[in-house]
Amino acid sequence: MAEIRIKNLHKEFGVGEDKVVALEDVNLDITGHSFVSIVGPSGCGKSTLLNILTGIETPTSGTVEITSDGHVAAPGYVFQAARLLPWRTVTDNLLFVQDDRSDATRERCRRYLEMVQLGDKGDKFPGELSGGMQQRVGIARAFSIEPDVLFMDEPFSHLDAITARALRRELHHMWDETKKMVVFVTHDVGEAVELSNRILVFAKGGRLEDDIQIDLPFPRDPADDEVAVAKAHVLRKFEELDLLAS
Amino acid sequence: MTVTETRPGAAAGSRPAPNPAQRLISIPAKIAKSPHSARVLFPIAMFAVWLLSLMAVEEIWPFAVDVLPTPSEVGAFMWDEFITDTLARKNLYETFFISLRRLLSGFAIAMVLGTALGLAMGLSRATNAFCHDWTMAILAMPALAWALFNSIIFGFDDRGPILTVILAGIPFVIVNVREGVRNTPRELFDMARSFQVPQSKVIRHVLVPSLMPFMFAAARYCFSIGWKGLVIAEVFGGQDGAGWTIKFWYDAHRAHGVVGYAAFFVIFAILFERLVFEPISRRAFRWRPQLRTEVVEEAFGEHHEHYGEDEPARHG
Repeated sequence: MAEIRIKNLHKEFGVGEDKVVALEDVNLDITGHSFVSIVGPSGCGKSTLLNILTGIETPTSGTVEITSDGHVAAPGYVFQAARLLPWRTVTDNLLFVQDDRSDATRERCRRYLEMVQLGDKGDKFPGELSGGMQQRVGIARAFSIEPDVLFMDEPFSHLDAITARALRRELHHMWDETKKMVVFVTHDVGEAVELSNRILVFAKGGRLEDDIQIDLPFPRDPADDEVAVAKAHVLRKFEELDLLAS
Repeated sequence: MTVTETRPGAAAGSRPAPNPAQRLISIPAKIAKSPHSARVLFPIAMFAVWLLSLMAVEEIWPFAVDVLPTPSEVGAFMWDEFITDTLARKNLYETFFISLRRLLSGFAIAMVLGTALGLAMGLSRATNAFCHDWTMAILAMPALAWALFNSIIFGFDDRGPILTVILAGIPFVIVNVREGVRNTPRELFDMARSFQVPQSKVIRHVLVPSLMPFMFAAARYCFSIGWKGLVIAEVFGGQDGAGWTIKFWYDAHRAHGVVGYAAFFVIFAILFERLVFEPISRRAFRWRPQLRTEVVEEAFGEHHEHYGEDEPARHG
């Protein structure tokens, strides 16, 4: 079972007068089959936190441990843009991130492509697919390495509302089926409420302001009363934070 | 809140299909619009211009006609050359083989050296700062200057023409490869690093393919500029080859020979482009969405399609 332990995490950029605090004393534990969304206004450090979790940046102080059953957890990523190799086919894009090209690996890639409903598009090049399909390939790629933890950075923000909604449903299915841990960064509160069982609200200056559990049954319909109430609650929290900041 | 739905299109219907008569009328219009007709039209127009100027010159300046070659003279000359019936020391095929050998040697050296230098300049600021002005200086130097300079140093053997090809072509390779390195897709490297893809695989699947369009541009420039440089070098410092042979016909006061040989140059360049560069480029860039100009023209001329979720994204 995957586990993320963050202790006294602090991150600063620049020195002297130009110093900007991106994350301030963040303490956090995430365990098991959870879907955790990180929300907050721009500049609240949510991308910085994800970059530290994914190893792109190092913390100024504090520790981050990402483990699975005692050893270092294998991470998977879905980016804001699909980030596919345009000169390789869909199948080859999945094979690019695998350790080998054995029949078992190919079979696994094919299975995940089918899970995102692109089983018949393996021989296409990314340029021949729509934006939504490309993002699906990105999701299949992340799942295909069978990671312990999946990090997603606003993966649906570039898509139109209908496509994004369809993909959210697919993502929920895959999360449910594979029992992976997902850490999801978004600025869309509705999206966070629809998908997550836990929402972390960050404020400007990189403070973790609120840790909200959402124990509503899945699938969640945005039109549903309880979902709407939960969304309103998180939005109110946002407004309070905004008032505090100004 | 009330939501009313209206269904567009149900009453208006779709566009009516054109009737057979309309189709028949549209055929000449299609031929006129086709890019192939435009291609065929160009040589016909040039031929007409040639004949008309001959006639005009004959009117104004009758004695010049003996010097100006007519299409039939040039055609006869080219046919004789084609069947290797020539007054020159070497026939058409030998001549072009000699030039091609020099061109390819120089081209290969320019590509290898230029790629190495371009990579170094793209990756290191210090190297770029050191080499930049030199590259620009070589770029600014006319091929004629290199040709003269090299023939003085090396005399009449292969080295002069080959070095001229290298010097004429290499700046284009350096500049293109350097820009290629500067334009490598950073977000794809980050992606590969996040997925812990080994370095060798990243070079093969990310770096090399991302450089390919720049390498192709480099190769095309290097080839065509190198070819021009070679011909000039052979005029001044050769005993054979295409450049030397065109000079031979010039010295012999055979204008049709000069024009005919120039036409061979053009044919040679077109054949090389069609038979070598185009197939390789089609194969290397088959991942690029097809550039379909007729689709663009239709979009401008008629209605605009709506692209839904399952339509391919139209971007390069």
